[in-house]
Amino acid sequence: MDGTELFHQQRIYMPQAGDGSSAHMVLGPDKKLGLLRDTSIQPMSALIDNFEIPLQNNQSTVTIEVKLSYQPRPGNVYPIHTIVKEIYGVR
Amino acid sequence: MTHPFVLQLILSFLLMSFLGMEANAMNSADSQVGSISELVKLFDSTSCKECHKEIFDQWSKSHHARPLMGLDDQIFLKKYLKTGPLAVTDLNQVTNRSIPCFKCHLPQIRYASDAAVVEIVSAILDDNKETIRKLNIGCLVCHNEKGIVRGKPATNTLYGNKDIPDHPEFPVHKSGLLKDSLMCGQCHGLGPVLDYEHPVQCATLYGSYLHAYIPAGGTETCQECHMPDKNHYMPPNFNNRQEVSELLAKALTLDVKTLAYVFEPVEDWATPKIIVRTTITSVAGHRIPDG
Repeated sequence: MDGTELFHQQRIYMPQAGDGSSAHMVLGPDKKLGLLRDTSIQPMSALIDNFEIPLQNNQSTVTIEVKLSYQPRPGNVYPIHTIVKEIYGVR
Repeated sequence: MTHPFVLQLILSFLLMSFLGMEANAMNSADSQVGSISELVKLFDSTSCKECHKEIFDQWSKSHHARPLMGLDDQIFLKKYLKTGPLAVTDLNQVTNRSIPCFKCHLPQIRYASDAAVVEIVSAILDDNKETIRKLNIGCLVCHNEKGIVRGKPATNTLYGNKDIPDHPEFPVHKSGLLKDSLMCGQCHGLGPVLDYEHPVQCATLYGSYLHAYIPAGGTETCQECHMPDKNHYMPPNFNNRQEVSELLAKALTLDVKTLAYVFEPVEDWATPKIIVRTTITSVAGHRIPDG
């Protein structure tokens, strides 16, 4: 375990609005009209995702850190959960 | 010499007439106030705190007490009125119907004349926070203007959860709406707001509540989660970062499962890998995030 970051991936869950006249996603209440896609977390349901992390053969211990946060604007982060797991090599 | 009792009666009558005039103005579609100060006075709820201090204090910390101020005490509308589809290029063209955002961020706007709206828009463009902070969604907005949805709200009337005929100033009439999610849904959004020249889309929480939460078997109202024990603070308060994080953590659980194994779909082509499976479960009454 030398602190090297092996893998980093972000998933964005949010309603994705169009402007009512194209398939281009827009931001801001003054531009949004309708939804093109909605990947937000829906009420009373579970949102399941899978992340596949390839390893090198010589990696024996890996630390997995999963963070869930709310970001109304880029960089404006409200932390929600952080879960850390240690994985001691592939059996 | 005037008898003191007569004088007292005359004063009482004058006071009642004055209050009556204000209440009439509050509910008459013909009454269009001409300035910000008149609009503020028309919906002034400060007298409510004399008896409802705790509720007033809760409300005064909520976003309803500053509906035109965004995060960190900024006038959020300023950027939208300066550039983009809602940009105001000529104040002479501004009318009561020009700014769709006011429909929910200042519902009492329908009692404002075009001149009063121009004054509000000018204050926003000038970043006049002192003036804009005076405009709020106070007691009278929810307990009169938004207190019923069938017909117009009655004059000299407050709406609440029970009848209180001898309530000071105005009687309280029971309105079942106050406990229903529709009360909040009047502003907290179905989707596109199309009844303006420049349509907008802001909150869609009520649409999500109706079309996702209820079909999934949800039974709680907006008020049960956001106004427990009738608390008028109505979180989230996005200026309180820790509180928002805690509220979201309560609404969303995160579970992480891992599997470390060797993937070998073809002989001698082995790839060690880790599968991380995340499960986010929501008990909220609407999508997260929204807007």
